Amino acid sequence: MRNQPVSVQYPSGSTQNGGDTSVTGGGRDDGPSNVRPSTERPKNPHQRAGWVRGHQKDGGGYAKEMPKLITAGAFARARSAEVRAMLKAVTVTTGSSHVCGALPKHMRRRAMSHNTKRLPRRLRDVANRMAGSKKKKEQAKSKSRKARRRHGNLLLEFNRRQRKNMWLETHIWHAKRFHMVKKWGYCLGDRPTYKCYRPCYRAMSGHCLLQDLSYYCCIELQGEEDKLLASLSQLTSKEAGPTFAAALSLSGRRQGSVMVYKAGQYPSQPLGPVTFLWRPRTQGSTHRQLWIWAHPIIKKDLLLELQTVCQCCEAVVPPVVPVVTPAEVVPTLGPEPEPKPEKNPETKQITGTKRKRSCKDASGPPAKKILGDGTRSPTTPVTWKSSSTGIVINDLTMEIVRYRLIGPQSHSVLAETLEAATDCDVRIMEINKSQSSSLWWPEHCKDESKMNLHQQQADVYHILKGIYSTGELPPGTVLGLTVDDPRLTLPTKKVKALPCEHAVCVCCGFVSEVDEEKRKELMLRGVSEHCCQSYLWEQSVRDNVTDNKISEQELNRMRSEVLVPGSRLSPTPLQGRVPILLVHQPGKQVGHEMSSWGAGWDLLLPKGWGMAFWVPLVYRGVRIGGLNMSLKHSQNKGAPHFPHDYPDCFAGVHFQEEQETELLDKFKRRPPAKRTNYIKHGCLAPFRCPWQQLAEEWELILREGGEDRKGDGQTGTATEADTEMEEEVTSHRDITVTKPPSRITVLRNTKSLRLLSGWCKPTTSKGQRHCRVRELPPLDRSATTSFLTAHGMSLVWVRLSLLSKGKPELHAMVCVPTAEDLQLLKKGPGSSGPQEPPHRDHFKSRIKRRKKGPKKAATSSLSSKTEGKESNPPSGSEPNPTTSEDPKSSPKSSSDRIFGLWPDPLPSVTSHCSRLTLGWVTQGDFSLSAGCGDALGFVSVAGLLNTLVNQPMEHRGMLLLRNPASLHYRFAKINIEV
Amino acid sequence: MTEPRNPGMSSVPQTAPVHTDSSSAAVEMDPVEYTLRKRLPRKLPKRRNDVYVNMKTDFRAQLARCQKLLEGGGHREICVHGLGLAINRAINIALQLQASSQGVLQLAANTSTVELVDDLEPEDPDEAGEPMTRTRNNSAIHIKVFYPDPQ
Repeated sequence: MRNQPVSVQYPSGSTQNGGDTSVTGGGRDDGPSNVRPSTERPKNPHQRAGWVRGHQKDGGGYAKEMPKLITAGAFARARSAEVRAMLKAVTVTTGSSHVCGALPKHMRRRAMSHNTKRLPRRLRDVANRMAGSKKKKEQAKSKSRKARRRHGNLLLEFNRRQRKNMWLETHIWHAKRFHMVKKWGYCLGDRPTYKCYRPCYRAMSGHCLLQDLSYYCCIELQGEEDKLLASLSQLTSKEAGPTFAAALSLSGRRQGSVMVYKAGQYPSQPLGPVTFLWRPRTQGSTHRQLWIWAHPIIKKDLLLELQTVCQCCEAVVPPVVPVVTPAEVVPTLGPEPEPKPEKNPETKQITGTKRKRSCKDASGPPAKKILGDGTRSPTTPVTWKSSSTGIVINDLTMEIVRYRLIGPQSHSVLAETLEAATDCDVRIMEINKSQSSSLWWPEHCKDESKMNLHQQQADVYHILKGIYSTGELPPGTVLGLTVDDPRLTLPTKKVKALPCEHAVCVCCGFVSEVDEEKRKELMLRGVSEHCCQSYLWEQSVRDNVTDNKISEQELNRMRSEVLVPGSRLSPTPLQGRVPILLVHQPGKQVGHEMSSWGAGWDLLLPKGWGMAFWVPLVYRGVRIGGLNMSLKHSQNKGAPHFPHDYPDCFAGVHFQEEQETELLDKFKRRPPAKRTNYIKHGCLAPFRCPWQQLAEEWELILREGGEDRKGDGQTGTATEADTEMEEEVTSHRDITVTKPPSRITVLRNTKSLRLLSGWCKPTTSKGQRHCRVRELPPLDRSATTSFLTAHGMSLVWVRLSLLSKGKPELHAMVCVPTAEDLQLLKKGPGSSGPQEPPHRDHFKSRIKRRKKGPKKAATSSLSSKTEGKESNPPSGSEPNPTTSEDPKSSPKSSSDRIFGLWPDPLPSVTSHCSRLTLGWVTQGDFSLSAGCGDALGFVSVAGLLNTLVNQPMEHRGMLLLRNPASLHYRFAKINIEV
Repeated sequence: MTEPRNPGMSSVPQTAPVHTDSSSAAVEMDPVEYTLRKRLPRKLPKRRNDVYVNMKTDFRAQLARCQKLLEGGGHREICVHGLGLAINRAINIALQLQASSQGVLQLAANTSTVELVDDLEPEDPDEAGEPMTRTRNNSAIHIKVFYPDPQ
């Protein structure tokens, strides 16, 4: 009795009553136990629902005086009710509890949850019962591994997985070795799972790196030459370099590359870079064929734009007007031998399809079936015709496999892998005559002229083996060829392809004069026009080759029947001839150093043959690179990479947004105390580059000139110049003011770029040697103002080489050095640059305050004081008035403020730090080729010119570079490579 | 290519030396109309003991590399190649090697001519039509630095 838990009340209904009456006196009118009418009850306001523990101060938690007598019956009855309730509460399990819950904590084990035998026996039954329902489902879902790996089932599974994102033909190969990412509607290998950063670089600069670029979309245009050129000329501009009409590419001998704009919008609204290839002319015909290769991200826009300029809006398969998602892939052309839409559903349901067919399924066709968000109707058009111009547009995405080999030895790899097709024996041809074979090669062999052409191509290919480095060839050379199935000459072991003895002989002078002459001719003139012809251009041949591919199984069977094991199959099976196109990719063409770095060959194949060529190439000792190697490749080439470095394109803007969210997520995953406080580092936007704001601000700075900065000694050079400059700018002010705030553009006008490049005094990296440039108009104010009226809101692609230490990172700031900084530089080239004074984070206190919600009122009066105090220190070092805006933006207390990041309405980006910001780095790394930190990025043209004018001659082109998470500025030399 | 050369003897310095003598030639080509792009000189196979001298790398580093080959690398002879502007430096390196060996090393110099290829791309490709390619010659030197045989 005395041991009753007096301080605990269990207030559920009647159970409470009996007992408590005696002890706490909190009971209500319980009829039978009406011994003590509770007098304290009204005094007890704390009759809470639920458990109440401890001594209640104001309460009549419990009575002080002990009960004098108890009626046993009533008491027992009340207790029994209580016990019943308690038992009930104990036995009924709540939703989340598991059988393990019945065990005391120290006896629970994790493995118990999936192996009931680990439980004590008394609990096993219950556990089995509970787990039973789950297990049954699982069993139904997964078959045995053996069943799952059965060919047909595997195929079904693969097809299912391809429904969302397309797979390349080499997908399985890549998936085993690479980190795969889903991008642009494809599954692509990003980087290998093994370490290979340096080996890949070495492969690119010394041997050969292989990439699968089949995800690039090919759009085919057919029509009269002049009409095609007329429509395409709307998309490009001559100012930005060679266009579709460039004579050499038009002949079909070279691959060209252009920047495509929306029709007639030249400096603004660029779509993106594309490469193109004309099919060589056939005699007496003006009908031409053109392939445009574009990144999948711009395919949709490009296709729409092409349809507008060519007036091709009649889809050949009528129903839906060409609203095509970029993920789409589709090659249902009119004269296709097997209509795909018919075939696909069939192979899906029937698991036991023929091996050959299913093999094809795994690679090409089924990928076409699926769209981004569901199955595409097979009637979606892929061909558009124009009645007025007669132009036909074909969407050849995934129809042609494209491999890229990068590196000086890539032609040796090709030479070892591919062999020009052998002709068919006469004997076999006779047999074929009777069948009138369905294969294309025997048919071709009958035609004398075609065989002549093949012979010539094979000769050129043979000469090609004689050169030593890929970079020696005319850039962009095209060679058409027909080759034997490379699987037939697969080495038994992986070997490293080296320049063949032929090349060695050439250099030793052992080769006949004739060969030497031919080689020289090839180097000078390139491949002659008719040799650029390939049957890969013909739809019918492509399909024939794809359909008649010998399956791996069949090939192995044939190999096993060879008399001498391991010897070559002879004669070569008739199906084993493939038309291909070899396209030379120029390496680094801009700038003065490392020229031709990263040159290589592109190999174009008909679809379905991807793996048949991939494995033999891999067996020649090449390295395989993923998407991140493409990025490194273009970085070493100093070329902008699409879509990373195209801030004026829609794709580029989109990419930047994606990148920002990704980086921000990564940043937020760190605990706040471990994050970099970018505010303290004076970095406004570490995850993105507000280009638009930058360009506008520079425009403003130049326009407003030096009024605000007069008398401020710190940026002496800039100030004086600006004041002077103002007078001239005012003359142009009317122009600039009336101009509506335009969008930024990237400067691509070659003439202007060349001018700007000359003004920057191009040097090799580290500024060692000044390269000679042509005579330029001297850089003075009048020249700059006239330049700026033309390209006011522009950005320009620059390369920055660090002079001494430092590794630039993504979104590092490019800043203008002050006069004192340049003095520092004069002392020695090794000087390590100035420091940025640390900034104060006056958002920190605000975030803290927000967390202490209730106290806010008390500190609110304080906050206004601190605000005024804190905003001053950073601006102390800055000579400009724009920082006074900072506090203005800060009071907006947004709920989603992130510690260490500047909240959204950014203050002036140019003048936030002690040095004016010119731009940001978009690709930065230690460059293995230059041996120093190397950054690529954009700077504002207005800002750059202003800086250059004000710099003394000996230091012209010196800028500062600062990483977002560092306070240290590093000297860098700017180079604009044209 | 006027004389028979030893195997592996040719000139493959980096592009730097190539620039120097070519820009004078470019002036004749009416620089407004064409952009000059130089192709790489012919690369040739390279043995372990071939050293191609360029103007980009630090002189001391190149000298140290040669010394390492001769002393640590166990080669009895090395070939130092230089093209164009780098001829001077190649000679310098060879002489330095000889001087530092107290006259034990001997030199044997060969000269040759290397054919280089330039591409001339018209600035306005649609009008001018054909881009041009031309060849020009440049001198090269190949110095054999070796320990003479004992007999």
